[in-house]
Amino acid sequence: MSSKEYILQNIKRNIKTRLDKPKMDVLGIQFDHLLSQFVDICKAVGGDARILEKQEDVNILIKELYSQAQSIGSNLPEITISTFNPDDLDDPHLLNGTDLAIIKGEVGVAENGCIWIPQNVVHKALYFISEYLVIILDRTKLVNNMHEAYRTIESNDSGFGIFISGPSKTADIEQALVVGAHGPKGLTVILT
Amino acid sequence: MMSTQHSIAAEKFQEDKKQASWHNETLWFVREKRDRMSKSLPEWEELRTIAEKIKLHSVSNLDIYLEEFSKNAEANGVIVHWAKDAKEHNDIVYDILSKHKVKKLVKSKSMLTEECHLNPYLIDKGIDVIESDLGERILQLNHTAPSHIVMPAIHMTRQEVGELFEEKLHTEKGNSDPTYLTRAARASLRNDFLTADAGMTGVNFAVASTGEIVVCTNEGNADMGTSLPDLHIAVMGMEKVIPDHEALSVYTRLLARSATGQPVTTYTSHFKKPKKGGEMHVIIVDNGRSEILTNNEHIKSLNCIRCGACMNTCPVYRRSGGYSYTYFIPGPIGINLGMLKDPHKYTDNVSACSLCYSCNNVCPVKIDLADQIYEWRQNLDSLGAASSSKKMISLGMQFLFTHPTLFNTSLKFTSLINWVPRSMAFGLKEWEEGRSLPKFAKESFTSMWKKGKIKTIKKDEQ
Ligand code: SF4
Repeated sequence: MSSKEYILQNIKRNIKTRLDKPKMDVLGIQFDHLLSQFVDICKAVGGDARILEKQEDVNILIKELYSQAQSIGSNLPEITISTFNPDDLDDPHLLNGTDLAIIKGEVGVAENGCIWIPQNVVHKALYFISEYLVIILDRTKLVNNMHEAYRTIESNDSGFGIFISGPSKTADIEQALVVGAHGPKGLTVILT
Repeated sequence: MMSTQHSIAAEKFQEDKKQASWHNETLWFVREKRDRMSKSLPEWEELRTIAEKIKLHSVSNLDIYLEEFSKNAEANGVIVHWAKDAKEHNDIVYDILSKHKVKKLVKSKSMLTEECHLNPYLIDKGIDVIESDLGERILQLNHTAPSHIVMPAIHMTRQEVGELFEEKLHTEKGNSDPTYLTRAARASLRNDFLTADAGMTGVNFAVASTGEIVVCTNEGNADMGTSLPDLHIAVMGMEKVIPDHEALSVYTRLLARSATGQPVTTYTSHFKKPKKGGEMHVIIVDNGRSEILTNNEHIKSLNCIRCGACMNTCPVYRRSGGYSYTYFIPGPIGINLGMLKDPHKYTDNVSACSLCYSCNNVCPVKIDLADQIYEWRQNLDSLGAASSSKKMISLGMQFLFTHPTLFNTSLKFTSLINWVPRSMAFGLKEWEEGRSLPKFAKESFTSMWKKGKIKTIKKDEQ
């Protein structure tokens, strides 16, 4: 008998009562001002959020925010300040040394600053390996909470997807918060 | 009068008064952050109720959900393995690694691999195993075990970490600044990520309807570890399976809020398919879990989502430290899991509880931790494990809880001791010393009494 069969048989034998699936239709917290709540929470989780004004150019804004960045990776056609297209690289290891990555998010969650990113680059390493990260998000794609978010992304079929909320962080040494553990040391969400 | 191993270790922990009180206060601070987070959501209690019900439902249909999960994962191109026990788990991991000629493996934090003693097993076989969570890495360099499931190195001071890094990572002498040390670890681990042949992660949630596994971290180490090499091995205890995204939305809201008082972890990663040209393996591990299904009194311990909130709130854990427990998972949940694993071996831990019920009240999946510990204490005789001191502890606590007026009028154990018969006073005193004075808040006791919770102490009234 395979271990799979053995384990499943054991489970079947040991289960005494089967309980019904509970109702999970939680409404969840609602916000009066989704946009300002989202901006606030992005800051609270250690990142930043900027609302792009109508007359503003996203490239100029990013350049201002990250004037030191030399190596800028993005596969977004509207990003003209990128110095390379990460999708052109054969090997994700070559992404090491990226100063700034600019990517697109799909859904923003107002309760916790999460942004849903289905893998939309060839090497997902880009999201984690670069020193700083900018996520561009359509401001009409904000939802109140995780229940709404998961309903929205239900049909996602990329092999990898991630909610990112703020920059990488740790508090493992005496509970002192340090931003930039392994991943980006800073994160700005730009709401278009 | 005998002392338990826990009480002896707790006393030792208390010797460094400064560090012990730092430990206590820091964990309480995390507990308070958790409180603020829970109060910011009007639906908090509703979430807990649903989270508990989903787990009870999933666990009571575990065969169905595991089959659904593995079928969907396989359809996504993931290779699924099943391991009866720790040995089989380790052998499967090694088998995969050796097929791929892996020399270096980067791991992201996993309590399951601690449970299976995977690291020494692999290192013995010549594989370079690198823990990538900062806390875990510190402990690996220090050759010690985690003392908390979420904050593994919470017992160490920054100076200790500084000295360790001086020796192992050649950092500046005497520099114990957390940012400086974290940056040094970042640089060293970045090199490991870039040179590793495989990445290993645990699993926070396995979603049956999609075949995805979900991993939650703040540092992004699970993602760094799995997005560079072509091979990803994920290991999961079989109780990690949940039905669908709707259920997942409930748990992602509870986990970080309960664990660290954050609104969510920085990264909530959904691994569904292997990366292009790569391989993804999931190992589903039983290792005693299926036996717990027959145990009505303790089945709820399978609800645990490993947030650690029960440790942060526990007055005994905070004052005695994770190493005072003999099971590798400490605190209220660890007491119970240890007893389920081997009641003879881990019986000492059941004394490490003041029955204040705080853990029951914070647990996001409503595990009745304190009730379970009480149950274990009642059964010590039948397990042949009761010592006279343990009986005293039980009696002493029972006495306390069933005499609220006495308790309210004499809040300090010292004065309480004047009221009780000599033999019992002795038991209480030992309790007091060994546990370094767990303090019962008058209010919570009274409110518990009013809610009738204290009655659960009396078995015959249940
Ligand atoms: S028992 Fe509850 S509070 Fe403790 S770690 Fe598990 S889920 Fe968290």
